[in-house]
Amino acid sequence: MWPGFAKWAGLGLLALIYAPIAWLALLSFSARPLSGIPYPLSLANYRALLTTPGWTGPFLISFVIAAVVGLVTAVVACFVGRAIPRSRRAGGIVLLALLPLFIPGVSLGAALFIFLRVLLGLNLGYWSIMLGHLVWSFPFALIIMLVLTTRFDHRLLEAAADLGAGSWRRFWDIEFPLLRPAIIGAGLFGFLLSFNEVQRSIFLRGTATTMPIWNWTMASSQESQVPIIFALATLILAIVLPLLGFVFWLIFVRIEKGR
Amino acid sequence: MLRSLLRRLNLADGRWALPCFLAVWSFLVIAPLVVLIVFSFFQTQFFMTVYKPSFYTWNDLFSSGRFEVTLRALRIALTVTVIDLAIGFPFALWLAKGKASRTVQAMTLALLTIPFFIDLSSRIIVWRPILDEHGLINSFLRATHLASSPQRWMLYTEWPVHFAMVISYFPMMVLPIYLAMNIIDDTLIAACQDLGGSPFRVLRDIILPLSLPGILGGIVFTLGSALGAWVEPTMLGGGFVDVLSNSITSAYSALRVPMVAALSTFVIVLLIALLCLLALAMRRFVRLGEVFRSMKP
Repeated sequence: MWPGFAKWAGLGLLALIYAPIAWLALLSFSARPLSGIPYPLSLANYRALLTTPGWTGPFLISFVIAAVVGLVTAVVACFVGRAIPRSRRAGGIVLLALLPLFIPGVSLGAALFIFLRVLLGLNLGYWSIMLGHLVWSFPFALIIMLVLTTRFDHRLLEAAADLGAGSWRRFWDIEFPLLRPAIIGAGLFGFLLSFNEVQRSIFLRGTATTMPIWNWTMASSQESQVPIIFALATLILAIVLPLLGFVFWLIFVRIEKGR
Repeated sequence: MLRSLLRRLNLADGRWALPCFLAVWSFLVIAPLVVLIVFSFFQTQFFMTVYKPSFYTWNDLFSSGRFEVTLRALRIALTVTVIDLAIGFPFALWLAKGKASRTVQAMTLALLTIPFFIDLSSRIIVWRPILDEHGLINSFLRATHLASSPQRWMLYTEWPVHFAMVISYFPMMVLPIYLAMNIIDDTLIAACQDLGGSPFRVLRDIILPLSLPGILGGIVFTLGSALGAWVEPTMLGGGFVDVLSNSITSAYSALRVPMVAALSTFVIVLLIALLCLLALAMRRFVRLGEVFRSMKP
């Protein structure tokens, strides 16, 4: 009896995570989404989305920020992830790198705001949002990298060195191809985490607006804009979910096979 | 030229990465946290921050209505964590040591991870048309004559806030516990059973102590996020459920920087205090040091 209960309670909660997402997509095709009933169906919300100004800018900016954050996270996580297994103080460094995971987003956002804006007197903008996102996404990327780098067979590099390969060739021809799934995974994690981040961004935005901030202000202002948010969120899901499927295919199929 | 420069720097070797990373990280993470704590001892006078150390802001924090807000935030966070633990621990056990196949495991893990990447405000806002006075559930209840009047408690009260938070933070509880349980050696469990141990003894003497780091991790993540939760209380509480993060944002928009710092520090301090209590309580059952030692291969 107990295993059955454990299984169905957990799966029930999982269903409660996904049901609203599916419902959101369904409601975005409804003529009156706020009634909560997806009938009659129409594309009115999507048409309204096309004519509503103001979201394309934040959308593009979020995309660019997320791309930069993903790229930087992947590169940094690659080098740090390679260096950590060779270090003597690996445990301490990993704990330090994972610290942002343990601190509530509001607190870390406020801390970065006070440090950058109040103490250093800098003008906040896209760059500070990017920094906040980097701090948030790096721990996740590092965990993915460490899965591969801690298992990496260093005899391969020694063999290459014995055969006369320089350090750059050893990295580019041996380490990089073997670590590639984790590097791509880390980059995509960085991209997706940054693309949907709102708690830290609110503190670090200055006057800048990203897609999640725009979503948040529209949604929390209780305006008639909400149906448009539904349509927009559905569009974003249509981009994000296939990407996520790809990441998990990378992690479970490619990385698992590699070990 | 470039080639020789690269060789000189020895970029590919990567030993330079750690010192560089630690330097940048202490600037981006450690320094802001230290500054946060320091700023909480300053105060605001006439809309300006006065850089003179005092306990004024902390006094203010405890004397004004914020104490009530703190208690509410703490109560909600603890309730959510306990519910998530009660459902998450058995679920992780089923996932890691039950009869689930590799494919089911991988798919469930993916399903648990995906919500981290989906915008929280759009995930939460959709509950409004479902729970609303004229929403899906109320329409259903009235159509089936299960209820004659609209059920108003379902939105803009503490109920939907609890409900949405339990759902949002469930993966944060399950994933660490699963990871810890997954590396428990199956032969240990088999040995215990062969020696006549009941399922309860297997749970108490093997699975519970060995998955303790995961349980603690899950509690930290859930409690931390729940204490700092903000989207759920704002969107589903409708202004009636004021928690610490609302105080932080309102102090932020009033530019009361020391108060922002004190409240943020307070959230972190609460988290650490709760964890210390938990670790003390756990020490009666298992010795934490031994748990971590036993994890090393």
